[in-house]
Amino acid sequence: MRDTSRPVPFLASARAVFGLSLEGMLWSRRSLVLGAFLAIPVLIAIVYRLVLVARMPAEITGLHLYGYLVALFWVRNALPLAALFYATALIADEVEGRTLTYLITRPVRRSAILAGKFAAYLVTTLCLALPAAVVTFFVLATSRGVSVAASVPDLFRDLGVLALTLLVYGALFALMGVLMKRPLLPGLLFLFVWEMAANLPGYVPRFTITAWLRSLVTHRPAGRGVSELFGQVLPADLGLAVLTALTALFLWLAIWIFSSREYVLDQ
Amino acid sequence: MSEVPAAAAAPAMPIEFVRASRWYGPVIALNDVTTTLPPGVTGLLGPNGAGKSTFLKLAAGQLAPSQGEVRILGRPAWGSPEVFHRVGLCPEPDAFWEGLNGMQFLTGLLRLTGYDDAECERRALQALETVALVDAKDRKIGGYSKGMRQRIKIAQAIAHEPEVLLLDEPVSGLDPVNRRRVIDLIKRLGREGRTVVVSSHILYEIEALTRRVLLIHNGRVLAEGDVREIRDLLDEHPHTVALRAKSPRLVARALVDQPHVLSMTFGADGEWLTVQTAKPDELYGALHEPAIAAGVTEMYSPDEDLESVFRYLVAR
Repeated sequence: MRDTSRPVPFLASARAVFGLSLEGMLWSRRSLVLGAFLAIPVLIAIVYRLVLVARMPAEITGLHLYGYLVALFWVRNALPLAALFYATALIADEVEGRTLTYLITRPVRRSAILAGKFAAYLVTTLCLALPAAVVTFFVLATSRGVSVAASVPDLFRDLGVLALTLLVYGALFALMGVLMKRPLLPGLLFLFVWEMAANLPGYVPRFTITAWLRSLVTHRPAGRGVSELFGQVLPADLGLAVLTALTALFLWLAIWIFSSREYVLDQ
Repeated sequence: MSEVPAAAAAPAMPIEFVRASRWYGPVIALNDVTTTLPPGVTGLLGPNGAGKSTFLKLAAGQLAPSQGEVRILGRPAWGSPEVFHRVGLCPEPDAFWEGLNGMQFLTGLLRLTGYDDAECERRALQALETVALVDAKDRKIGGYSKGMRQRIKIAQAIAHEPEVLLLDEPVSGLDPVNRRRVIDLIKRLGREGRTVVVSSHILYEIEALTRRVLLIHNGRVLAEGDVREIRDLLDEHPHTVALRAKSPRLVARALVDQPHVLSMTFGADGEWLTVQTAKPDELYGALHEPAIAAGVTEMYSPDEDLESVFRYLVAR
């Protein structure tokens, strides 16, 4: 029975928006480019297996390289960038394409519109990132000196961290997308200037997202050099709680702003 | 499919504007508009930039009034998503999710109106049939012609059989056959008791649809009522006719004694004559024979653009 005295229930309308958005998001030029970008570690892993593995010191295993790729490539750079390009565009693309009208003149709450589009973003980016991470893991983990079976639980944990990275940065950039007209530059500044504070000593890293994400990464690179950046590791439990809270806060703010804002679409 | 009707309330006009104004920064798009639109077809007439789209956006709850009140089906248009169970909007921009086909576009939007999959499919097919697009239902909208895109936009507005329909320039870009089809559809919806608001900047388009019009210019409602009354007003509007002839002086000689002729001007090339009249019908009647004798080859009325008509009405 359809109750016309109320908006369509949240889940049903979010699912409908998800259905409308997913295909356009998944089969887009943006996905093609970012899919290739997110799969770079697969290429690195193959090169390592074919060429580099014999030349590396015995104590540096494929899992070490995998750890670097998870922490430095995906968590620190690639996935936040993917989140920036997708999540800032969740509503902006609809405004620019002037298709938002079709969504906001339906009996649905705007919160459901944003939730549906955010879910489509998450599924799209997970579809691009997770297979690349799994392939990279198996290519590297089956090299010498690594027990694959023992490492598989860590793989699942890593996949969880990747998903959380997309979730928390996606929520932040969705907020920036509804708040600003041109969120890309501020987003880049946030990622590559503000987030560098995660490498500072003392209490400051707690004000970055990346420091909390780092606390959850299992395969932290060993040794010196770049790994020194990981010198300060925050408690993982607290990290999970903080990141969950930040995601919820950013999403709530994004929904609140989107719900109260007018969109004057140029003709 | 059974439906739970909205809570019973005192009957309200489908669309009500009470001293509603809307401005964008320092620009006033709609200024102190008070009007009610009853069931049936109402034409929203005004030149480009008059405030028609702002009027429709306020009615469709896309914008909040800066001042005053806009109600649709008895509820505030802004911030009442539930009202869109009963409202359909055909926006003016030619904008779509180009990768979807016609069927996906309609069923996707119907799902947002709360129907189950089977009902979405049934209603989508019905709407596609109404706008003669069933054959193109599996083609991507990106490959549709301008007229097909206009029709699929109308289809999404009517697919959930709304009580109130807001149509922004709905016949723009349609060929004569589909224009007729859409005009007939709008008239039928009006006869069924739905409230249909159609905006246009072309007077004859509105005349083909309805006799009830709302004239908007510079964000103000200039007049509302029967389109014939507007016509009467326009009949007093000095009307200009320009004609090209081998011997324009023959035409001028035949018209010079006509009391309704206000002025005549010859063009520099000696072929054009511009006549200003207070009574266009009498002018056209008086022109018939001299036009043949003078060998008139071209004739047009530069007054046909609404802008000049509205300037005249504003000045009255």
